[in-house]
Amino acid sequence: MIFWIVLLAGCILWIVLPRIGVLAHYRTWRAARERERLEDALKHLLNREHLGRHATPESLGGALNLSRTAVMRLIEQMEEQGLLETRGMELHLTAEGERWALHVVRAHRLWERYLADEARMPLAQVHAEAQRREHALTADQLDELEAAMGYPRRDPHGDPIPSRAGILPDAEGTPLTAWPLDIPGRIVHLEDEPAIAYEQILAAGLHLGQTIRVLERTPQRLTLSDGENEYRLAPAVAANVNLAPLTEVEAARNHTIPLSDLPLRQTAEIVAIDDALQGFTRRRLLDLGLTPGAVVYPELQNAFADPRAYRVRGTLIALRQDQAARILVRPQSLN
Amino acid sequence: MTTPDEVLARAEALRNRLPSSFRDEIVQSLYAEAEQIARRAVKTPENRQYDLDQRIDRLVTAPVSGLLIMLLLLTVVIWLTVSGANVISDLLFTLLFGFGDWARALFVAWGVPWWITGFVWDGVYRSLAWVVSVMLPPMAIFFPAFTLLEDLGYLPRVAFNLDWLFKKAGAHGKQSLTMMMGFGCNAAGVIATRVIDSPRERLVAILTNNFVPCNGRFPTLIMLATVFVAAGFGGAAASLIAASAVVAVVLIGVAFTFLMSWVLSKTVLRGEASAFTLELPPYRRPNVLRILYTSLIDRTIFVLWRAMLTAAPAGAVIWLLANISFGDGSLAIAIARWLDGFGRLLGLDGAILLAYIIAIPANEIVVPTMMMIYTNAGMMVEAPGSDSAIRSLLVDQQGWTLLTAINLMLFSLLHNPCGTTIITIFKETRSYKWAAMSVVITLGTAFIVTFLTATLARLAGWP
Amino acid sequence: MTRPTTDLCATCPAHARLEQMGIKMDRYDRVVALAGNPNTGKSTLFNALTGLKQHTGNWPGKTVTRAEGGYQFNGVKYKLVDLPGAYSLLSTSQDEEVARDFLLFGQPDCTIVVTDATALERNLNLVLQVLEITDKVVVAVNLIDEARRKGIDVDTRTLSRDLGVPAVPIVARSGEGIITLLATVADVIEGRIATHPRRVEGTPAFQQAIQELTPLIEQLAPGIPNARWLAIRLLEGDARVQRAIRSGELADILARQRTTADRLSGTMAVMGRQ
Repeated sequence: MIFWIVLLAGCILWIVLPRIGVLAHYRTWRAARERERLEDALKHLLNREHLGRHATPESLGGALNLSRTAVMRLIEQMEEQGLLETRGMELHLTAEGERWALHVVRAHRLWERYLADEARMPLAQVHAEAQRREHALTADQLDELEAAMGYPRRDPHGDPIPSRAGILPDAEGTPLTAWPLDIPGRIVHLEDEPAIAYEQILAAGLHLGQTIRVLERTPQRLTLSDGENEYRLAPAVAANVNLAPLTEVEAARNHTIPLSDLPLRQTAEIVAIDDALQGFTRRRLLDLGLTPGAVVYPELQNAFADPRAYRVRGTLIALRQDQAARILVRPQSLN
Repeated sequence: MTTPDEVLARAEALRNRLPSSFRDEIVQSLYAEAEQIARRAVKTPENRQYDLDQRIDRLVTAPVSGLLIMLLLLTVVIWLTVSGANVISDLLFTLLFGFGDWARALFVAWGVPWWITGFVWDGVYRSLAWVVSVMLPPMAIFFPAFTLLEDLGYLPRVAFNLDWLFKKAGAHGKQSLTMMMGFGCNAAGVIATRVIDSPRERLVAILTNNFVPCNGRFPTLIMLATVFVAAGFGGAAASLIAASAVVAVVLIGVAFTFLMSWVLSKTVLRGEASAFTLELPPYRRPNVLRILYTSLIDRTIFVLWRAMLTAAPAGAVIWLLANISFGDGSLAIAIARWLDGFGRLLGLDGAILLAYIIAIPANEIVVPTMMMIYTNAGMMVEAPGSDSAIRSLLVDQQGWTLLTAINLMLFSLLHNPCGTTIITIFKETRSYKWAAMSVVITLGTAFIVTFLTATLARLAGWP
Repeated sequence: MTRPTTDLCATCPAHARLEQMGIKMDRYDRVVALAGNPNTGKSTLFNALTGLKQHTGNWPGKTVTRAEGGYQFNGVKYKLVDLPGAYSLLSTSQDEEVARDFLLFGQPDCTIVVTDATALERNLNLVLQVLEITDKVVVAVNLIDEARRKGIDVDTRTLSRDLGVPAVPIVARSGEGIITLLATVADVIEGRIATHPRRVEGTPAFQQAIQELTPLIEQLAPGIPNARWLAIRLLEGDARVQRAIRSGELADILARQRTTADRLSGTMAVMGRQ
């Protein structure tokens, strides 16, 4: 009998205890959900404003997958908090609303950068994961994340990351559909929405920093080449890929091979580290002396030929092949 | 007057005006300058002779010789540890237990109540003495040997040789070193994971370290292998079979390490393997005196002290369980009986499970505790001296089979980390969650694996 | 634990004495930091000076906390702080942050950068970075015996001239050159050797940005010794430095430094009377 009373009391405590009880957990969870919905709404408004169109209750409901009454309640609530104003059917962000929205965009893109660089998550997954995590950090924590990654300017798709002060540079480059034929360009931006188009771009094997040229353009498709492989994209998909002119370094990349392809015991000079390799890994490689101009000599390999050890500035340093593939070198003539 | 915020805003504005590669350029100009200064100050011979280091490196990283050297060194270190430790262990055992008996007799002569004498000398002291005499010698041999290899510069080559396998499991090559350290002591192995930069890969290494059997578990494994697996073989064949059984268990542990690393890096610790940069330093002549000093003081005494802190209360609990009457026997026996059903399901029995539960502070006292329960003694006792006596106690009286022995070996390999290791994991990760996770993962694996082998064996009609 | 020194060189006073003090450093007059790449024999030097037996192994990441010990040289008590081995101070790895924080916020009286004579070029990268932070630096060119064996000749005088700080050849393992090193450290601290550290310029755009930012920091904390380096860190976006600026920690450092200077001048006055 006593046992049952104790058990019952335990269960009740477990449910109602402040902070650690089930109810408290549920309340925190609900508050977090609400905040997420609010922030997603802000992001939608900001997005529309950048496209030069204004959001409406319909567009908001569509983006957040909400019923009409729920949307109206949300809008009312946001108006009360001074985040948006309604002008007729149009929804406008207030200054406060825009500041918050930029914070969320900043969080999202920093997370994407982090997940791609430091956690090495496949690119097709980072958007969804960042979508989940973007609501969790405070502005100060974001600053720390940003500093830890060395102030990246763009997310892994090439979108600009707003600064803490809320300055948001425009996406750079020219869409493939408007790029002149046969002029090499560097991929500077891959639009990650809609996801279907983005997946097609990734599936084709295109990535940021790649140098390509447009060989042929018909209404049905574009044919591209990076010198080795040919790629075919539908124009609707190709419009989501932006190119920029080559810089001097990239122009000098001819006659280079990835370090991973350099034969064992052949000296070479480092030309560049691939732009797609960013964050901690890039800085670590540079700090170890793998800077452009340095001489490398692959001295050892293990039984699996991965990793290999390179003599760089007097020290033997082992790198995995997938990292070495991101370092471009120019082999020195044998004599 | 400038305010801090203005300075920071100015810095941000200036930063955004610089090309985004300006950090690369800073490093580049530093190295360019260093190159220039070095060129003026350093004269290197034109034709550098073929380096001895390079020759050694090719040998220790080549597919066949590299693997052989690695296995050879590991075998030598473990063999040295196990066989050398036996001698010192026996000596310490005689010494410490001699003192314990003497002090106990003194207490009896003074007329101290039996329960105080028992609690202090048969409980707490006995547990401490046991842990010291079983744990100290192997560590005192293993750690210096390991540190010697480390200071020679050989260990980074091991990480280099094995990295590919770890990469496939989503882990870091340096995890191989923390595993080797784990052979000495899992707590030390967990501390050694500090050499891994990436937090994700470090956690993988921490959570899987316990799948490598430590010094405390080797005696149990060897005893079971000699008495059960190699039984029925004579002479050289017996020791060969016993040795292979131990090696097989170690390999199973390594396989589980890879498997669990892979599972972890696909689930809770998602992500690809991160930056792997490993310096292979030149070989250097180690300073033997310093190695002896540091490995004995820093590692051995440190680990031993932590183990003693947890062993003393365990000794008290063990003694209490064995000396509080319950029903027709002691409390220990009652609990063992209660656990028996579950134990049988895993191909073990209740006494074994109880021994593992109360001997959580240190794996060294598992066997003596088990023997205590089996013989219904009032304190931890040593296993009988001869193989046949062990067999008669376990097989004839307690109904052990070959399956019990094999499952006990597996359980000993896979079960939860000892108390010291759990505390260390908490200290290193600063998280209750990961400390609890390390227990859940290992214990879960141990239960599942032993349950499967037991069920399969029974289905096949084996013992 | 007094060890008779055997390798007194011609340049140092005949009565130079090193006394290892282990971890007894309740009272010390000077703080010396020990920095260096991994595998340069940094902890060998630390142990040789303090008589302690630190083990740090061949790995960056082993000493995440800094080790401290003491030694006495010519009657002055020094606290020696062994910083984690690092290739660079620019990244955000934990070791590098510990080292960087101590050099900036710990304000050591002198920093010894231990370098490997057989791979000097790589090691100079770190030396140049330390020179950005602090003027009071002595470069210890270690493993000079190994370099000699390999036929590598390091001209420490040229090196000193190019770096603008003294460079001393040593063999930490045998103790060769250690007395000279300590005498040099003492000279640098007391200002008997003036240092003019070499600063790396970088690209013109970068240089210009630094020049614009440095005076602002000097306005914020007048008299701060490493304004230029702080400017570089701010430009790179070092969160630690940003925090220090926002929280006013910089002013605290300055205050602390002044009291240290006062205390030291007091000590010297006492010593002068003796």
